Amino acid sequence: MDFTFIPLAFGQLLSPQTIGFALAALGLAVHFGFGGLLNFGQAGFMSVGGYFFAITAVKFGFPFWLSLVAAIIGAVIFAFILGIPTLRLRADYLSIVTIAAAEIVRYTVQTPQIAPFTGGSDGINGSSAAFDALNPIPPGRYGIAPLLYSASDLWIIICGWGAVLVLGLLVWQLMRSPWGRVIKGIREDEDAVRSLGKNVYAYKMQALILGGVLGALGAVVAIIPTSLQPENFGTQTTFFLFTIILLGGATTVLGPIIGSIIFWVVLSLSDGILSILVTNHIVPLSTVQQGPIRFIIVGVALMLLVIFRPQGILGKKRETYFSV
Amino acid sequence: MTTRSSPHSHRAVVGAAVALLGGLLLSMAPLSATAAPLTAASAVEAPASASVRSATIDPASATESIGVWVRLDSNKAAVAGVKVTVTGSGGFSSDVVSGADGKVTVGLPGAGDYTVKLDETSVPAGDGVPRAGTNPRTVTVAANSTGVPAYFLLTTATGGSSTSAPGSTTSPGSSSSDASSGPSLFDLLVPRLASGLIFGLLLALACIGVSLIYGTTGLNNFAHGELVTFGGLMGWVLAGPLGLPGPIAVIGALVLGGVMGYVQDLGLWRPLRKKGVALIPLMIVSVGLSLALRYTFQVIFGPGTLVAPNDTSAAVNWGPVHLRSSDLIGAIVCIVLLLLVAFVLLRTRIGKATRAVSDNKALAAASGINVERVIRLVWIGGGALAGIAGALIGYYQTIRWDTGASILLLIFAAVTLGGLGTAFGALVGSIIIGLFIEVSTIWLPANLKFVAALVVLIIILLIRPQGILGKRDRIG
Repeated sequence: MDFTFIPLAFGQLLSPQTIGFALAALGLAVHFGFGGLLNFGQAGFMSVGGYFFAITAVKFGFPFWLSLVAAIIGAVIFAFILGIPTLRLRADYLSIVTIAAAEIVRYTVQTPQIAPFTGGSDGINGSSAAFDALNPIPPGRYGIAPLLYSASDLWIIICGWGAVLVLGLLVWQLMRSPWGRVIKGIREDEDAVRSLGKNVYAYKMQALILGGVLGALGAVVAIIPTSLQPENFGTQTTFFLFTIILLGGATTVLGPIIGSIIFWVVLSLSDGILSILVTNHIVPLSTVQQGPIRFIIVGVALMLLVIFRPQGILGKKRETYFSV
Repeated sequence: MTTRSSPHSHRAVVGAAVALLGGLLLSMAPLSATAAPLTAASAVEAPASASVRSATIDPASATESIGVWVRLDSNKAAVAGVKVTVTGSGGFSSDVVSGADGKVTVGLPGAGDYTVKLDETSVPAGDGVPRAGTNPRTVTVAANSTGVPAYFLLTTATGGSSTSAPGSTTSPGSSSSDASSGPSLFDLLVPRLASGLIFGLLLALACIGVSLIYGTTGLNNFAHGELVTFGGLMGWVLAGPLGLPGPIAVIGALVLGGVMGYVQDLGLWRPLRKKGVALIPLMIVSVGLSLALRYTFQVIFGPGTLVAPNDTSAAVNWGPVHLRSSDLIGAIVCIVLLLLVAFVLLRTRIGKATRAVSDNKALAAASGINVERVIRLVWIGGGALAGIAGALIGYYQTIRWDTGASILLLIFAAVTLGGLGTAFGALVGSIIIGLFIEVSTIWLPANLKFVAALVVLIIILLIRPQGILGKRDRIG
């Protein structure tokens, strides 16, 4: 039996995918955990950020920093388009509109007519060139087998975790600030905050923008080592993010980050274990049937978390935003 | 409740309606006699690449080969069992059939230009034809290059999406974009109105459950698409592998869908209601349930498209509209069922109780209505209607493990358009959405037709968030 999947699974501790989802989950925590906005379209923010980054980098040859700014601007625009009509609506309407908006983005970018621009259903490859050009790490292999990182792997991991650290601290400080208290107040009782003279709509919009930008940055980190694939930003991505924040604790800053690490390590471990069970005919499944199992695990985990531990690993019971 | 009528008369009326329904369905029986090959399921057991003629060269040892990959344009699902002929210089010719993953590799005698032609008659019903200009095609193979791509993306007449209507449209292959040069607007519009209407009716059946469950419990059920898929898959199992006649399969899907709704309510939703879980966590639970169920279906039924045995020839030709008999019967069954639902909601005791619970749960309970019983019946009824909708969608188009999930947002759009929580709003919304997505393909690329429907959803929420038939106080 081949057990190399165990160290590889722990490689997920650091992987760009984990970082990307940690950032996007942090954004979703700002929306849902802190602000009480039931955003089912975080994948849409990721998609918009990813496309703005990749198109400006590949098609227009922008330098890295400018592409990053473009991704942020894309997320801000998307937040306005999404927020203006929906933030006055009730949570369940918001959820339907956001999930619809994310799907609109996913379908639209795959339109053949604009494929020269968006790459159609193949996505966009090679958006990392400008980022890799900034890489100061000498080429070579780093780490211990089988966990070997190339210089560019290491570069994105270092930058990615740096971004998680900085943005995590930023969100933490914001949520301790008067602004954060108003946001949390809106989550608890919108009318009470309104009666204090606060513009609830504007605060919600600011929270939507902040979380959306975090989602876009997460997408940038996630696509740099691989490529931009429109199908990676389907509804399942949003639901993965919900599982992550509910696992770690939706009303905390560390929760989404730790949740992302646990999520991807566990998913990778379960994939490995399952693959051993399947190839040795211990469970009666074919290798084709093995693929969907991870989604079943996520689905069941999401249900169990919501029912039995809605505050997650790190959250406090009394802060659980589940009172509508 | 203000009016009381004798339960016997209701039973008689419902019994008569069921008998009528059964009679309609029985006329669908001849369909199953002409059994089409079951594509995906049977092809899984077949070897990945089956060579038809002996003149083939083993692709594993050949130094040059072409990799053929047949997929649906809409969702990139693999299409198995499609015959492809590769011809080249020196009389080389090789017939191959795409495997379960849609792929097949053709070994070649040497470098050169090869013509790859897909046999359009071997494509499973409803999967359409290759994109215009891609069949046949010439592939240039350099020396020592293996797996040179010859990919085919299949698209249906309306442009190719999993929810387009293969049987009820004009001749396959006519692209929606050539409106200026091709047939007149009338010829383009009428078939789309017909298929949009049928799809809208099918959607309406699926929507009623969503709307009533929302009305009585406040839950936006994101797992409702899986009830539709479940019905479709059960219909396929009954009609395909078990070989039962079509009507029995459809009724079976109705019954099993109801059982599924009942089991879901009993095993999950009722305990959660008793626990006092709020609505937003309940919605997230439904999301988790949707993921878990959908991929369980994929494990059991595989990732391919399943086609129920059906007669694919057009039975009705009204000008530019060509409908199979199953399309027509499906539409009639939808109308009958919708009338039945309207009758039950308006005229029967349980229907009145349901509307009372939707209006005001506490008041309904206070006036002696057993709210839990109403909710249970709504789950059974909603599941049954979703189940039969799935089975009919399986006949109208094809069924896949994610069919329900792919129309879930259309269901939401229809229900929101009509007014969340109102059963008749769901009907109105469904028809509008069904017509809208089909007619929009005249002007829009086919993959944007869902986008059009979703944009409509957002615009409605801007202008009239309570929907066409909704009440103002529901939006909050």
